[in-house]
Amino acid sequence: MQKYEKLEKIGEGTYGTVFKGRNRETMEIVALKRVRLDEDDEGVPSSALREICLLKELKHKNIVRLYDVLHSDKKLTLVFEHCDQDLKKYFDSLNGEIDMAVCRSFMLQLLRGLAFCHSHNVLHRDLKPQNLLINKNGELKLADFGLARAFGIPVKCYSAEVVTLWYRPPDVLFGAKLYTTSIDMWSAGCIFAELADAGRPLFPGSDVLDQLMKIFRVLGTPTEETWPGVTHLADYVALPSFPPITSWSQIVPRLNSKGRDLLQKLLVCRPNQRISAEQAMQHPYFTESSSNH
Amino acid sequence: MAGNFWQSSHSQQWILDRQDLIRERQYDLQVLSEDEYQKIFIFFANVIQVLGEQLKLRQQVIATATVYFKRFYARNSLKNIDPLLLAPTCILLASKVEEFGVISNSRLITICQSVIKSKFSYAYTQEFPYRTNHVLECEFYLLENLDCCLIVYQPYRPLLQLVQDMGQEEQLLTLSWRIVNDSLRTDVCLLYPPYQIAIACLQIACVILQKDSMKTWFAELNVDLEKVQEIVRAIVNLYELWKDWKEKDEIQMLLSKIPKPKPAPQR
Ligand SMILES: Nc1ncnc2c1ncn2[C@@H]1O[C@H](COP(=O)(O)OP(=O)(O)O)[C@@H](O)[C@H]1O
Ligand SMILES: [Mg+2]
Repeated sequence: MQKYEKLEKIGEGTYGTVFKGRNRETMEIVALKRVRLDEDDEGVPSSALREICLLKELKHKNIVRLYDVLHSDKKLTLVFEHCDQDLKKYFDSLNGEIDMAVCRSFMLQLLRGLAFCHSHNVLHRDLKPQNLLINKNGELKLADFGLARAFGIPVKCYSAEVVTLWYRPPDVLFGAKLYTTSIDMWSAGCIFAELADAGRPLFPGSDVLDQLMKIFRVLGTPTEETWPGVTHLADYVALPSFPPITSWSQIVPRLNSKGRDLLQKLLVCRPNQRISAEQAMQHPYFTESSSNH
Repeated sequence: MAGNFWQSSHSQQWILDRQDLIRERQYDLQVLSEDEYQKIFIFFANVIQVLGEQLKLRQQVIATATVYFKRFYARNSLKNIDPLLLAPTCILLASKVEEFGVISNSRLITICQSVIKSKFSYAYTQEFPYRTNHVLECEFYLLENLDCCLIVYQPYRPLLQLVQDMGQEEQLLTLSWRIVNDSLRTDVCLLYPPYQIAIACLQIACVILQKDSMKTWFAELNVDLEKVQEIVRAIVNLYELWKDWKEKDEIQMLLSKIPKPKPAPQR
């Protein structure tokens, strides 16, 4: 740790604490993520290892850079490029107003980062505002790859997984085990709506059932007709049948019609009907001139 | 992580130059001949294989562990870490990275103890000497020496693809798959990209099975055939070396010649 001077704490995470730091030689500001190595049996936690090995492969301007990994007695420190704040804190500072050009630029960068991950067969799996970092100059970067994984592999049930439900797609809430890129696209949709509404979360559910209800009240309750196979998912429960809302302008009043169209292509209950990151980047919402209507 | 091999850390940092490899080994090659050096690595590849099988790991995980092991000693003398400690550490790290789920450390140590006793007593007369704390310290050291490059591309996936393209049957796949496993006992995984290794293994299998008709198929592949021939030679040399080697009689002597390891680094 000689190389970096530890400055103030900037975040508390699931497997460690994040500090601001300074490279003593170059004076460069970095983020230091300290991983606790409990005296348990596992050694370096697999979440930290996943983050290390995936970020080593994923080099892109919309993905946070991992500079270095330091080992010292019973501690592991990941050294990242430093960003000014996370998107959650940015939302908190907005007072309910957001420039729609900023919303669009953040969304495009989120999709670029995601498309890059997906083209490398990596799922992020834990997209939420706290895990998106932004800079004053308007850059956005994906961070926190602790839950990320190479895809195609069925996932064991992580009972200890207490990540927030708000950005989880209905298929996963119903217990679908085979994760695909569509999981991230749903989360991206939730974040898009939140961006467009200056930080008001779209589906702030309190538990799995409440989460599903909040989703279906907007999108309509899926049936075997709209989503073949849904009733056979492991944790499927029959819920009241809500019709889909007729007007998205109530949900995201400030978003223009092209933006609303993109949002609806992301927030599709049936996972294989969701738009991909690559396609979403090509959506007319991003090509039109900056008018808001 | 599949596809995109050319952008990977494997491609960019871990396809080594043969001259560099030879230079890094100079220290060890003062006390061991090149054949002896290779025999030691054959032995430890077997140790990793048997440990992995006892732990019921997939072949992919075992192969990754073996590559970690070889990469570590591509940059270090055998004296830096006792290979008997590094072998299970590579297994631990690979199983986490390949998402096999976590093997508990105590289970790993227990398996090491029993495997050394039951399968490798001809090499080690004493008990497996390491404990959890040694493995955990070694894991740090390994991670550092790998420069955190943990995603390893293996020839298995390209091999499956090739056999499918050929329209060939089980027998060929089974044999070439085994040859890929054997290739981990050579340096090819440090020197060549995995798809070239896959092609070389497939070619050897075709020769063994006398599939002469496949010659034109190989000729039409878009691949550096000279490189493929180098790989073929390395694997054929391995089989030559293997044929005359009585591991059971000689390994103790060889292990005793390894430059004396320091205890695990105290960090
Ligand atoms: N590179 C960074 N620059 C600035 N802040 C960061 C950086 N990395 C993490 N943080 C802050 O620390 C918090 C926790 O980090 P994160 O990587 O998400 O860890 P965890 O997996 O424990 O959630 C983030 O939400 C963010 O506020
Ligand atoms: Mg986080």
